[in-house]
Amino acid sequence: MNTKIKNIVVCVSMAFVLFSLAALCLFMPKEDFLDAERREPEEFPEFTLESVMKDGVDYEDSFMSKFEKYALDAFPFRDAFRTLKAICSNYIFLHKDNNNIFISDGYAAEMQYPMNEDSIDHVTSRFQFIYDRYLKDKDITPYLSIIPDKAYFLAEDNGNLSMDYEEFVKQFTSKTEYAEYIDIFGALSIEDYYKTDTHWRQENLVDIAEILVNSMGGSYNSTFDRNTLENPFYGVYYGQAALPMPSETIYYLTNENLMNVKVYDHQNNKEISLYDMEKAYGKDPYDLFMSGELSLVTIENPNAKTDKELIIFRDSFGRSIIPLMAEDYAKITVIDIRYLPSTMLGLYVDFEDQDVLFLYSTLVLNNGKTIT
Amino acid sequence: MLFSSISFLFYFFAAFLLLYFAVPFKLKNAVLLIFSLVFYAWGGVKYAILMVVAILIGYIFGLLIDKFRENKKIARLFMWLSVASILAFMLYFKYTNFFIDNFNKITGMDVVFLQITLPVGISFYTFQTISYVIDVYRGVPAQKNLINLAAYVSMFPQLIAGPIVRYVDVAAELEERTHSIDKCAEGIRRFIIGLGKKILIADRLSQLCDILKAEVDEKTVLIYWIYGISVALYIYFDFSGYSDMAIGLGKMFGFKFLENFNYPYISKSATEFWRRWHMSLGSWFRDYVYIPLGGNRVSKLRHVFNIFVVWFLTGFWHGAAWNFILWGIFFGVLLLIEKFWLYKYLDKSKVIGHVYTLLAAVFSFVLFNAADLGEATTYIGGMFGAGGIPFTSAESIYYLRSYAVIFILAIIGATPIVRKIAIKLSESSKTGKIINILEPIALVAVLLVVTSYLVDGSFSPFLYFRF
Repeated sequence: MNTKIKNIVVCVSMAFVLFSLAALCLFMPKEDFLDAERREPEEFPEFTLESVMKDGVDYEDSFMSKFEKYALDAFPFRDAFRTLKAICSNYIFLHKDNNNIFISDGYAAEMQYPMNEDSIDHVTSRFQFIYDRYLKDKDITPYLSIIPDKAYFLAEDNGNLSMDYEEFVKQFTSKTEYAEYIDIFGALSIEDYYKTDTHWRQENLVDIAEILVNSMGGSYNSTFDRNTLENPFYGVYYGQAALPMPSETIYYLTNENLMNVKVYDHQNNKEISLYDMEKAYGKDPYDLFMSGELSLVTIENPNAKTDKELIIFRDSFGRSIIPLMAEDYAKITVIDIRYLPSTMLGLYVDFEDQDVLFLYSTLVLNNGKTIT
Repeated sequence: MLFSSISFLFYFFAAFLLLYFAVPFKLKNAVLLIFSLVFYAWGGVKYAILMVVAILIGYIFGLLIDKFRENKKIARLFMWLSVASILAFMLYFKYTNFFIDNFNKITGMDVVFLQITLPVGISFYTFQTISYVIDVYRGVPAQKNLINLAAYVSMFPQLIAGPIVRYVDVAAELEERTHSIDKCAEGIRRFIIGLGKKILIADRLSQLCDILKAEVDEKTVLIYWIYGISVALYIYFDFSGYSDMAIGLGKMFGFKFLENFNYPYISKSATEFWRRWHMSLGSWFRDYVYIPLGGNRVSKLRHVFNIFVVWFLTGFWHGAAWNFILWGIFFGVLLLIEKFWLYKYLDKSKVIGHVYTLLAAVFSFVLFNAADLGEATTYIGGMFGAGGIPFTSAESIYYLRSYAVIFILAIIGATPIVRKIAIKLSESSKTGKIINILEPIALVAVLLVVTSYLVDGSFSPFLYFRF
């Protein structure tokens, strides 16, 4: 190929790429929902004189600024381009992480670094408030258990930054001395988590449920049948990492006793089930477990082994382990103080002589501004 | 609008190319002007109106100077009036709050700051308009066609971050220029290289600088050095990448803009560094400030004064803050030291010259990029372990490892090695054919990878927008 032909090829090939993508930008149907990122895309902005004239501090609201965001979200083959970027970042530029996500042994995990002391202070101050307001006078000693995120198992070996988890637990427990700490770090391994998601796998949590129940004075001996969800599962890190990863299978555990529990969603005032099959086939199949993020749910079990009651303050990790504890309590009250302000708890929950457990992952505790 | 944005590449640029090459030559400047105004108004419509006013001032005064050319006094009066009124724009928008701030500090008063947003690229189009009226005063015929002059000042390829194109350099091309496949291919090549430099290297290093500044709590000597080197490379790749894109776009549309960078990091002295760095600005100050002040054909003291003025203004042009002024003076002092003493020694040892220049560049860009003088002192001090900080940490090593490939690419890319190898290979009959086949593939690949970074990320404003 001589220089003349090369120059023609350069012009033609670049024109082809540029105009093809430009045409697709204009004419390709737009997505209603960005599945990989689990959010709605930016809509085409309103074109008015007012929106065009905005500038300075108001520029963010201008047509131009909103169009920039729209153009990014509406770009054709957006996910394929994000994958190309992730491949370049990971395998050509050899970055240790892509958008803070790294992959090690087939597991995608998020770097938790550095330890966020402000978050620890904030969360422990909210827990202290709950203890002082609702538990102290009732002579209730709450329990606290912290769930390590996947970076605890993966980061160091992979050469990624990770916080000092020992120090994290030490700081957290030193600020919650009124609570009895239940250590589950040693009972977990990376295999207990989904590869593409933040969460742990329910089918591997029976021994963790046993530790929790027994530590709170119970005597755990539940057994379960394993069920398979047919819907292939791509967790939240799959979209964030944007790298090719195989789908996973969600298993969920049931037994005869669990069939009879009564689960009530107080946020929407309706009865729900422990396993929500509609949501299992929705945007996030992990919402199979107790219907996703709800602020206040009660589980009543007429066939429970004891008449004890349990109040759990939890994040999304709690949704998959709580069903495994349902045989041991006549009633479990499940509270998510990210959505139900702790100042309002007295309106909905009677604190008497229940067991109380704070069960949170390091992901939430280290980024805990949402705890109210 | 940014070159490195989806809206530019796949909406604006695609539409511009179609229209520009579809219309006959006599309409090309009008198309260029309309698109340039849209390009500029994308950052704020009011600022585009401001630029139009500056263009009109340049146009009218250019005609007046031309008309009264025979009467030197009147021509000079018009020239000074136009320079003063164009400069007044820049002084108001760029420096008013700086002067208020310093006035408040000196007097203890509390004069309220004005709600002014700096129009992007004002320093560039102001200097281009000034160079136009001065050149007309010096004998260049005034541009009679308003569209041609407006297209020159507002030309979007170089509007917001240079290079500073002088009117005399493109005057003929505004009237008549040729377009060809060869020029277009050369322009594409240059544009894609610039885009790659900006997105794949400069933005990555800028991201690292932000992380090191904001997210690393325990600073170490190594962190400060990684930061210093990253800043120096990031500013170079950001600015030279933009210049490459501007020159490439110009070439596609038949213009020949002068080079703005010539591998400054291979310099052996600060003097040489500034012959290779932001050359259009250096030559602007030389021709419109230094030489009119008398240059070096004056007494030694006056010569020192002239150099000091130029470097003070160079720093001040970059930003309305003391760190920019000190940055300019820092180079002014280095150039004076080299001129009167050091240069003969640097000339003897290449290694010492390179090391000295690179260190000077790193320290200067840490100062340049600092939010204030306190931060600059802390960072430069940190590079020497001030405050008893540790030499390294797990975090330092992590970032060094995570960005090692980018560092290597940036360091190699800052030298002419790759260019020389590419030229050598393409000249050889054996490898030339392979290079010819690989080049279009590589260019398309870079465009797709750059697009993937744009889609995955969000905005990455060009550094030189604020100047």
